[in-house]
Parts: sequence; C-alpha cells; structure tokens
Amino acid sequence: MEKKAGVRFYIFLTTFVFIILFPFYWEVITSLKAPTEIFNGFTLFPKNITFKSYQSVFTLRPFASYLWNSFGVASLTTIYSIVIGSFAAYAVARLKFRGKAIILGLVLAVSMFPQIAIISPVYLFMKAVNLRNTWMGLIIPYTTFAMPLAIWNLSTFFKEIPFSLEEAAKVDGATPFQAFTQVIIPLTAPGMFTTAILVFIAAWNEFLFALTINMQETSKTVPVGIAMFRGQYTIPWGEIAAATVIVTVPLIIMVLSFQKQIVSGLTSGAVKG
Amino acid sequence: MALLKRCVAVGLSAAMLVSLAGCGGQAQQPTGAPTAKETPAATEVPAAQDDTKPAEKVTIVFARGMDSTKASNNIVEAFNASNPNIQVKFQEMPSDSGQQHDQYVTAFSAGGSEYDVFDADVIWPAEFAQAGYALALDSYIQRDGINMADYMEGQVSALKFKGKMWGMPKFTDGGLLFYRTDIVDKAPGTWDELMEMAKANKGKEGTEFGFVFQAKQYEGLVCNAMEYIAAYGGQVVDGDGNVTIDSPETIKGVQKYIDIVKSDFVPNNVTTFTEPESHTAFMEGKSVFIRNWPYQWNLGNDPENSKIAGKFAIAPLPKGDARSAATLGGWVSMINKNSKNPDAAWELLKFMNGAEGQKISAMDGGLSPTYLPLYNDADVIAKNPHFGDKGFVDGLKAAVPRPVSPIYPKLSEVMQIEISKALAGEQTAEQAVKNMDAQMKAAVADAQ
Amino acid sequence: MQVKKDVKVQKNTYKPPKGLKKGLSESQLAYALIAPALIMILVMALFPVVRSFWLSLFDLRLNHPTKSKVYLSHRLNMERYAGDYPYLEQIIKEAADEAQGDVKIELVSVRDKILHINTTLMSDQGIKKQYDQVSDLQMRMKPVGETLQYVSIDGDTAKSMIQIAKEVDEQLHKIKDTPGLKQIVKEIRDITKDAVAGAIIVPNFVGLGNYAHYLKDARLAAALGNTFLFTICSVSFELVLGLLVALSINRSFKGRGLVRAAILVPWAIPTVVSSLMWQFMYDGQTGIVAHIFAWLRLIPDSGYLLTTRTGAMFSVILADVWKTTPYMALLLLAGLQTIDASLYEAANVDGGTKWQQFWSITLPLLKSTMLVALLFRTLDAFRIFDLIFVLTGGGPANSTETVSVYAYKMMFNQMDFGKGSTLSFIVFICIALISIGYIKILGADVLKD
Repeated sequence: MEKKAGVRFYIFLTTFVFIILFPFYWEVITSLKAPTEIFNGFTLFPKNITFKSYQSVFTLRPFASYLWNSFGVASLTTIYSIVIGSFAAYAVARLKFRGKAIILGLVLAVSMFPQIAIISPVYLFMKAVNLRNTWMGLIIPYTTFAMPLAIWNLSTFFKEIPFSLEEAAKVDGATPFQAFTQVIIPLTAPGMFTTAILVFIAAWNEFLFALTINMQETSKTVPVGIAMFRGQYTIPWGEIAAATVIVTVPLIIMVLSFQKQIVSGLTSGAVKG
Repeated sequence: MALLKRCVAVGLSAAMLVSLAGCGGQAQQPTGAPTAKETPAATEVPAAQDDTKPAEKVTIVFARGMDSTKASNNIVEAFNASNPNIQVKFQEMPSDSGQQHDQYVTAFSAGGSEYDVFDADVIWPAEFAQAGYALALDSYIQRDGINMADYMEGQVSALKFKGKMWGMPKFTDGGLLFYRTDIVDKAPGTWDELMEMAKANKGKEGTEFGFVFQAKQYEGLVCNAMEYIAAYGGQVVDGDGNVTIDSPETIKGVQKYIDIVKSDFVPNNVTTFTEPESHTAFMEGKSVFIRNWPYQWNLGNDPENSKIAGKFAIAPLPKGDARSAATLGGWVSMINKNSKNPDAAWELLKFMNGAEGQKISAMDGGLSPTYLPLYNDADVIAKNPHFGDKGFVDGLKAAVPRPVSPIYPKLSEVMQIEISKALAGEQTAEQAVKNMDAQMKAAVADAQ
Repeated sequence: MQVKKDVKVQKNTYKPPKGLKKGLSESQLAYALIAPALIMILVMALFPVVRSFWLSLFDLRLNHPTKSKVYLSHRLNMERYAGDYPYLEQIIKEAADEAQGDVKIELVSVRDKILHINTTLMSDQGIKKQYDQVSDLQMRMKPVGETLQYVSIDGDTAKSMIQIAKEVDEQLHKIKDTPGLKQIVKEIRDITKDAVAGAIIVPNFVGLGNYAHYLKDARLAAALGNTFLFTICSVSFELVLGLLVALSINRSFKGRGLVRAAILVPWAIPTVVSSLMWQFMYDGQTGIVAHIFAWLRLIPDSGYLLTTRTGAMFSVILADVWKTTPYMALLLLAGLQTIDASLYEAANVDGGTKWQQFWSITLPLLKSTMLVALLFRTLDAFRIFDLIFVLTGGGPANSTETVSVYAYKMMFNQMDFGKGSTLSFIVFICIALISIGYIKILGADVLKD
C-alpha cells in the first residue's frame, strides 16, 4: 500500500485526531469557566480561568470518596482476576483435560451475556447476603465478567512460552513449582500486566452493576457518582466537567504510557493468523 | 502433589490476603463509617423493650435525603435537649428522590428495621401504606390531640389513604409563577393571558423567551401537566381510586400545555427542560415568566447566581376554565412499621413536624412550613419575607396532590410517556388522554 | 469432537511435569486450577440467567403487599388480618343492627359470611394461636416480625375466602348508596378488600404469562425497533469509518504513536462520562455541537437534537460512533498488519488498481477479523444501557428506549421484577440468536483455541 505520507494524509489525520479529541478539549475548558460563562456563548478559551468547579467537586460533594471506592474496587478486581484467571489460563494453555472445549465455550459465552439479564438475580443475591453497598458486592460480579478476557488473554501468553524452557529448568534441578514461579511467571509478567490494565479500565468504567448494587452515597463509584451530580434543582455542568477531567486524565496517562500493551491486549483475541 | 499443594496454598493465601485487604479498605473508608456505626447501635436496642419504662435510653435512626443546611441537625439537637432518653442517629440517603425511593423499598420489602423514621416524597405514602411499610399514626394523633386542621390541607390529603393517616407533613412545595417586575406590571390571571403577555413581552430587557417551565419526560412533567389538567377542571383519579382522566376538561388542559410547548415564545428545546434548565434561563435574565417551585425565590434573589435579583415577584399559577391549580410537592415523614421503637419514633415525628421543628426548618432551611400558624410567626417572616407574601401563600394553598394511589409510580410513568408523545407532536391531546385512560385502568385492575 | 482434536495437539508437544504424576493426574490439576474461575462463572453468570428465567415466570413485585416474593403455596398475611379483623367484625355487627328492611337482610348475610370466614380460619389450632400472638403484639404497638407475619393455609380455604370476599363486595356494592349508611358501607368494603382479600397470598406463578403479555406490548415492539435501529446504524458506521481509518494509518508516518494514543482516549473514557460530555454538547441552549449543526443547517434549530425522535436517535448513534470507532479501527489495523505485504507487491506487478487490490486481497484476508470485531460490537450495541440511560434516559417520548433500558425501568423504577426479568431474558434470547448467527458464519473455529 501507499507508504509515503503526503500533505493530504496529514490534513486527514489532523482532522480525525481533532474530532476525536475535541469533546475532551471542550470539557477541559468548560471545567475552567465560571458558571455564567458556560451559559452564555461559546468561547473557545475561558475569559477568566477559575478553579472553582474543581474546588466544589471535592468540597461540596463526596467525590474523593467516589474516587477511593472506584480505585479500591477496580484494583481488587484486577488482582482477583489476574490470580484466578492465570490459574485457569495455565490449565487451559498447558494441561490436557476432558471438557476443555466446553469450558472455553462457556467462558466465551459469558463474555456475550447481556448484563441486564443477570442484574436482577445478582441484585437479589447481594441483597440477601448483605453485600449491597460494599466493595465486595461489586468486586465479585466484576471479577466474573473479567474472566473471559483474563483467561483468553493470559492463555495466549502462556502458550507463547516454549515448553523447553520449563524442561530446561527441571533438568537444572528445579522443582515443578520453582519452574512455575521462576520461569513461567516472569515470562508472562508482560501478559499479566496487559490483562491487568484492561481489567482495571473495565472495572473503573462499569455502570449498571454499580448503579443498582452500590447506591448509598458512601459506596458509590465514580461513574454513578458523576451521573448523579445532576440534582433535582441543580445542573452543575462546570462540576461535571471538572470531575470528567479528573477521572479522564489518569486514563489518558495510562493510555499514553501503555498503548502498546493495551493495543496488543485488545487485539489478541480478535486477530488470529 | 507438592506443586498442587503449594499452588493451592499460595492461591488461597493470596485470596485471603486480598479479601483482608478488601475488608480493610472498607473499614478505612472515612465516609463509610456511618453505616458501620449506626446499624449496630440501632439493633443493640433490646427488642422487647418495655414502653412503660422511658428511663431507658433508646436509639432511633432517622433516614433523610442530603441536607446542605443546618436545619436537620438543629432540629435533632433541640429534640435531644428535650428528650434526653431518645438518641437520634442520621442515615443519609441518596439525594435523588427516585433512588431514595428504591432504597426504602429494598429495605422495607425485606422487613428491615434499620430505619425508624424516614422522610418520604409526598407521592409515596399510598404506595408505602399499601405495601405495608408504614405505620398508621391515627392512634398517636388522637392520643396526643394533634389538630390536623393546623396543617395544609393538600399535604394532609396526600397522607390519607384508606381512611388512615400514614405520616406527618414536613414541608410543602407547590408550582408558582414568577414574573419579571421590570417587564410586566402584574401577573397574568389566566393561561390565555399568560400566552399573550409572554408573546408580547418576549425580547424586552434582553429576554429571549416569554415563558420557561418543565417539559422533559420525568416526574416534573407530571407536575406541570397536572396543573393544566386541574386548572381546566380535569382530574386523573377520583377519591375512590377510580381512573377519571378521560374527560373533555382533561383534554383541554393537555391541549393548553401542548399549545404552550409549541409556541414561539418558549425555548425550542423546552422538552428537555427540568428545573435547573428553566431556572438557569430565568436567572440569566432570558425569560419573562417561569413556572417553578418556591426555592426559586431565594435562589433568584442571590446576586451571585442571578442577574435578576430583586426584579421579580411571585403569583399563583394562572387560571384555566375552572381555577388556578398548583401541583403539590414537598416531603412528609413516616414511621417504619417494623421499627422496634415506634413510641420514640413518634416523639421525634411529633416534634420535628410540629410547631417547633417546622419553625427551625423554616428559619434555618428556608423550607415552606405545612404547619399553617407559622405563616403568622414574626420570627419566621422576618427571616423569610416571602412567607408573608399573599401571592406566595395563596399559590401554595392552591396546591393539589398528584393521584394518591398505591400504584402511583406506574400512573406517573404512563402520564410521562403519553404526554411526552403529545408534546412531541406524535399524537393529539385527545389520543394521549384516551391512551392514558386505557393504560391506567389496566394498571389499576392489574394491581387489585 | 473438538476435545479430541485438542488432546492430540497437546500430546505431541507436552509431557506433564514429573511431580504431578505421583498423586494427582494432569487433568485433576487442571480442574483444580480452573475451579475458582468456573465456580464464579457458574454462580455469578450462569445461575443468574437461569434464575432470571425462573423469576420471569412469576408475578413478582417488590412493592406489592402480596407479591413481593416467589410464592408457590397459599398463605395468609396474619399481620394484616389480625390487625383489621376485630374492627371489621365490630362495624359490620353495628351496621347490621342499625339497618332496616332489605338493606338489613344484605348486611346480616354479609356479617354471617365474614363471621364464617373467621370461624373456618380459627378452627385450625395453629392459626388461632398465631392470631392471638399477633394481635397481642399489635395491641402493644410492637412489630410483628417476619416469623409470625405469615401463616400457611390450604388452597381451598384461601379460594373460598377470596370467593366470599368477592360476594361480600358485590352485595355491599348494591347497597352502597343507602342513605345514612354510605360511610360505613364504604368502610366495610374497604376493610374487607384489605383485610380479607388483600391478606391472602395466592401463588404468583404465572407460567409464560409475562411473555404472553409482552407479545402484545407496543412499548416492547418500539423498544426492540429502537434497539435494532441503533445497533445496525452504529455498527455499520463504525465498521466503515473504522476501516477507513485503519487503511489510512496502516503505514509508517511521524507521530504514529501519538495518533494511536489519541485513538485510545475515547475508548478509555467511562461511557457515563462520555454520555455526559455529549449531553452537554447537544444541549439546545449551551451545546456547541447543537449550535454548529444548526449553523451548518444540518438541523432546523439548535433544540432539534434532543427533542425529536430523529434527532435523539442520531445523537445517541453519533456519541456511540465517536466512542467505539477507534476501537474498531485498532482491531482492523491489527488485522491489516497480518496481511503479507508481498501480496500487494505481486498485485502491483500485475498492474491491479488500488481498488482491485482492496477487493481481492484486503477484504478477503480481513474477513475473519472483521467478523470477530463485528460480533463483539453488535453484541455490545444490542445490550446498550449506560449511554442511553445517561444521555437521553430513553426519551424524548421513549423514542430512544432500548430493551435493556426498558427492562431496567421495569425492575428498578417500577419494582416489577417479574416483568423486568421477562424483558431481560428477552434481551438474552436476542443476544444468543445474534451470537449463534455470527458463529455460524465464522465457523466453529472461534471456539477452538
């Protein structure tokens, strides 16, 4: 295909990137505008930069608590998913057992389940075992729905490790366990990391379970918290914009730093030789 | 074997560590503390506590929405001062009223006793009474000789279901008309006059619109629609719970609402307007009239947020063929039927929603009392001059409750959908009313 | 059959670690390792789907006094009955004494019927004992508690009670306008409805009744229509745009990493946050996108986007396309990069045009990647919830309400878990059908690892 990038190409590219990033830019400047400026006209740069929206996000609303909940839930979900997922992925990639195809099919099917079909029993279950409004109430379903991604991605990585390495370690006198921890785990660390990022982002962004299971002010996560900023008598666009910027910036940093891993993780399932 | 054992051991301990971390994480949550502290306190109270020994200290939990003013705290402080044996704990509920409703239903349908006293939107009592969540208060009201005639009639009727009282009125809200005194001299008397004046004065003093109000598909749409329907003499549900919506009067009311939405003096996206959108437009000086709740008064007179501070006045909503009607809003307080301390709960309710408590919430929270004598109380009026305003008080007194029905959420949904379709021009007022009639009748029959 | 294939592959390449052979076979280890994941999936994903279906067979309403749980047998709400019966007995006796003539005959008959109901119930010692306990608690204003609240009664008693209550209601209806007795007759009617008919809990199993209800439900038909419209439009736009972008950036150029990172931003932002962003930009008064579109004459006025059926559907689709086209582009780009460059060189030598190359090389070789990407996107689009819930709430006038949103509203706003579960199971069936369709096209090799 065409390999040389011409002027037209760059114009196209700039337009594309502009469209992709414009909403975010608009959100950033909205967060810096005073309320009256938001409601009057469309200035591309705020006339007077004010950080009042940021201030009130933290002082008038329990946004810090939302962030802490989201961070806690997403981190623990990530850890659980990686631990449980790598056990399963190891078995799938390296061991033979009856029913593998059925189990894999099941795992794949779970990734297709509509959440709405699951929400009412999960809600009633969490209500019955008193896990509503706790982190665990979200971590358990999140980990479950991260399983397909974790197992598929990790087993791909496990498969890439040559069996000979393990054998060599054993020849050198390592026990199977040492072979697992000292050879396999270090080699799959990048794969685990990639999977971890994807699981973390998915848990950080989830809305439906968080909306139904954790409704109390003290246990809300960021997406639910922001969606409910809009009160009966207020519509704080400035604060919504500020909160948006606060939750998006870490994601952008993550995306910038780990884009290779993310892309490989996202595409490993879809593209097969 | 060794590998497996180790794997399992590692796996389990990892899982344990993680779960420990999970628990730790929650315990450290500073804001999570209330749940952890309050629930045990409430359950520690012995179940078989004897009423005749008031010397024993009891703790009751009062669930309410977020209160950014100091009013709730001050009321409880005053209450604790006069009732040292009753300790009141707060449980803050989500600020969104729909979510609050869901939380209560969840807790009460499981027979929970975690909340003793709770605040309820004025549209919930019938539903909660029917579902068996609330305690009927008639015997307490009789015992303590409370005169319900001192309370606003609309609020009392919203609390009355199957002949019993299911709560006590807390504060009231009602739709009111606010108008710019620098543009028009007096408020319109009828909806037709309002339309003329809005059309004629649009554009003056930098306004873009003649009239703003709420027309998005949400509960506020029902509030607005009810005002037109009642003003033209229509009715949704009669006193016995029969659906009576299908009448020429209702059709006329809905038609008026449609006419106003379709007119050229309202914002072109008024069907996305809730309270915030409409009050923002009004306070940015963009509209001559607004239909809104009493909170508009204080907000609009705050020069920090409003460009029209001091330039507007209040009037009752315009009349239709029949009368002027405002939708009743506001909140009431109720007692959980499974409360372990109903007597203590009643004491709180009596104090909080009686003269003393309502005076505090009027003074410190700016809420409109339901206890009528307070509108003649010098302290209250000194703090909230508009409570002495005749237009304001008359407007509130004209408030009519939305249908008092145990299936109110369903009726409201039907109205929201069908009237939205009519406002969007997808059906006529007549079709909308016919559809509402059929669906509401089916819903009522289904609920029997 | 696939199991065999897998086993063969494994056999050739791998010998299990020696340590394993001692106590635990390889497959046992595998099951042990896979067990935690499998248990979670069974408990949190499969079981809920089955339970959803189970719940969809009931008339289950959380805020309804006699339908808030799954009931398979008849019960009496003793709290309600014991609370109201004594008063009912008292006023019906008074009314019967007071009345005259025909009205008296009716009222005496009503009285006897009501007394008969009570005698029948109380002839059971267990019921009688519980009745006494409950009324004792109620006299002292004490909560009744869950254990005493209900008592099981047999189906025949329950049915005859309901029948009698119905007769009583008809009788009272006839005399409802008797002068002087109006008030009391109304009260007797209300309490009979409440304390007798309303206290009996009838099994709320309705079989496929909820599904039958939805077969005729216009709102579901509209919601399904909206869901399909949304899915088809957004996925096809995403595919075309994603392919365009992928083809354009499939080359080396300066700033490639930056472009790729920029592409990931919409994907990484929480859907709720992007919905709020777009809601702000679509707003008829303050929304910049609404104003730009109005200025370009794409829409008649700035209020159009969120207030009309077409405008709102377009808005939702645009927001979704913005958020997921980049993801699509990345998947397709990865697919493009696996295509051997020599194929194009060979085609160049043969003198094929770019267009011919696209049709004869790129598209066929990209087909499986495209189908996988399409599968995931179609499923995601079909079960869409958060974008619409936050951006339009299903409005205006339900014109953007999808089946998931409808199901959510049924469950969590109306507290009707029977009907809500029915709707959510309908989503499940649709998703299953779509998946099966795609997998048929893709061939079974997706399942092969």
